Amino acid sequence: MDAVEYLDLLLKALLLAGVYAAMAVGMTVIYGVMKIVNLAHAGFLMLGAYFALEMFQRFHIDPILGAVMALPVFFLFGMLVHWILVRWLPKSDTPTLASLLLMFGFLLVLQNVGYLLWGTEDQSILTPLTLSSVQIGEISIAKVKLVVFVAAVVCMIVLQIVLHRSWFGRSMRALIQNPYAAKIVGVDDQRTARLTFGLGTAFAGFAGALLGMLYSFSPDFGRPFLLRSFVIIVLGGLESVSGVALGAIVLAVLETFSTAIPLPWYWHKWSFYYLPPSYQPVVPFALLVLVLVIMPKGLAGLFNRKWKAA
Amino acid sequence: MAEPQTSTDRSATLLSAQNLEVSYGATQVLWGVTFSVARGKITCIIGANGAGKTTALNTVAGVLRAKRGQLLLNGDDITAISTRGRVKRHISLVPEGRQLWPGMSVEENLLMGCFLPQFRQRSQAGLARVYELFPRLKERRHQMAGTLSGGEQQMCAIGRGLMAEPQLLMLDEPSLGLAPKLVDEIFEFIVNIAQQGVTILLVGQNVNYTLQISHYGYVMETGRITLEGPTEMLMNNEFVRHAYLGVAEGPQTKEPQTKEPL
Repeated sequence: MDAVEYLDLLLKALLLAGVYAAMAVGMTVIYGVMKIVNLAHAGFLMLGAYFALEMFQRFHIDPILGAVMALPVFFLFGMLVHWILVRWLPKSDTPTLASLLLMFGFLLVLQNVGYLLWGTEDQSILTPLTLSSVQIGEISIAKVKLVVFVAAVVCMIVLQIVLHRSWFGRSMRALIQNPYAAKIVGVDDQRTARLTFGLGTAFAGFAGALLGMLYSFSPDFGRPFLLRSFVIIVLGGLESVSGVALGAIVLAVLETFSTAIPLPWYWHKWSFYYLPPSYQPVVPFALLVLVLVIMPKGLAGLFNRKWKAA
Repeated sequence: MAEPQTSTDRSATLLSAQNLEVSYGATQVLWGVTFSVARGKITCIIGANGAGKTTALNTVAGVLRAKRGQLLLNGDDITAISTRGRVKRHISLVPEGRQLWPGMSVEENLLMGCFLPQFRQRSQAGLARVYELFPRLKERRHQMAGTLSGGEQQMCAIGRGLMAEPQLLMLDEPSLGLAPKLVDEIFEFIVNIAQQGVTILLVGQNVNYTLQISHYGYVMETGRITLEGPTEMLMNNEFVRHAYLGVAEGPQTKEPQTKEPL
C-alpha cells in the first residue's frame, strides 16, 4: 500500500469518526447526568434510521433534512420515555441493575415494534447523493460521507455551545460534576434529567438517520453501534463531549486500519498477514476488553477523571 | 446584599428551627434540635465532629428532610418546601468541603449561584459584587475551579452563595483545611459580609475564631443542643473552655478542636 492509500483510509476514518461521535454522545450525556447506561440507545438509533427513510419515501424529504427533523421529534419522544419509564428508577450514583434491565427491556420492545412496522427486510436510503463522489487527486470520497460528517460535526458543535453557554447546559454539567452542589443552588434534577434524556435521544435519532444513509438497516440495526458507542464512551471518559470525540477518532481509525495494516505473524517463519475484513467487527470488542483490562475498575475507574469533563 | 432591613414590623428572628429530628435511614442524627437565627447577626453552632452540625445546616437548606419538627423563615413554615424553593427564598448554603464544580470555570461556578430563573437577570450585578469582595476571583475567573488553591476555592464557594442575594447565608466549616493566614482572611470576609446586612449561620471547626466573630452561639453534642447563649458568655463558660478551647486543666474532649489556646 502506498501513501495515498493510507491517506485515503485516514480520511475515511476521520469521516466515520464524526458520525460515531454523534452516535455516542447521546449515551454519554445520559450516563453523565443520570448514571444510566442507556441500552435502549440502539433502539433509538434504529428508529432514527427508519424516521429518515419514512420521511424520504413518503414526503420526499432529503434524508439530511430528515436527520435534522429527527432532533426535535426524538427530543420530545425521549422526554416522554423519561416521563413514563425512566423517572421511576431509584436514584443512584452508580449504574443500577434496575436501570440496565429497564433499558434493555425497552430496547427489545422498540426492536419488536420495528419488526412489526417494517418487517425483517434490510432497507437503505438511496439518493443521488449516495451514489456520487468527489475526486480529490487520487482519492475519491462518497459525497454522502462528507455530508454526514459535516452534519455530525455541526451538531456536536451546537451541543458544545448548549453545554457551555446555556443555563440548561450548565445545569447538566453541574449535575455531572457535583450533583449535591447542583441541588443546593436550586437545580431541579428531575427536570434536568428529563431534558437530558430528551437531548440524548434526539442525538440518537439524529445519528441513526445519518447512519441509515451510510449503511443498510433492519430493526436490529442499532446493536453493533450500541457496542461501538459503549467503547467510545469508555475510551473517552464517560462524561465528556471532547472525550467522546477523541474516543470516536480512536475507534474509527483502528477499525479502518485494522484490515489495512500488515500484522507480523509467526508461523514457522515471520511473515505479514492482513486481517480479513470479516474480522473487522472484532476491533471494538477487543478494544473494549483491552480498555477494561488496563483500567480494571472499568467505568468506576474513569470517575476520578470526571473533573476534566466537558 | 440582602434586602435592607428597613421594615420595623419584622421580628428580630429570621429563622427558627423547632425540635428538628432528622435521620439517615435508620440512624437518627438530630434529636429535637431547636435554635434560632437573629436577623442581621452572626449565629454559630459549634460542636465536635459528628455532632450533627452539618446535618442541621443541610436540613435548613432542604437537602435533608426533618421527620419531625418545624422550620420557620420570617414566621412562615418552610418545612415542606423543596431545596429549590428555599433558594428562591434567599437561603444560601456554602457547604462543607466547598463543593464546587471542578471542571467549570470560576465565573461559571459563581453564575450557578443565581441559577434560578428569577435570579438570572441580576447575575452580572452579582458577579461585580463578588469580584469586588474577592478581587482574586476576578483574576482567575476563566480558570477551572478545580485548579484553584484551597483558600480561593473557599472564596469561590462563598461567592457562589452570595450570588443569590441571600437573606440567610449558611457557612459550613469555612476554614477547614486552610492555612492559618487564610483562615484569618476568610473570617474577615465573613465579618465583612455580615456588616453588609446578611444574616449568617456559621458552623465552625475553628471554635475560637467562630465564637469571636459570632453574636450568639449554640453548642451541639450528639444531635442535641446542650448549651446556648451570647458568645461572650460561651467563651467564659467552663465547659466550653475545657471542651472546645482547650484551656485550663480538666476533662479533655475526644477531639480537641483548635490548637491555639485562647
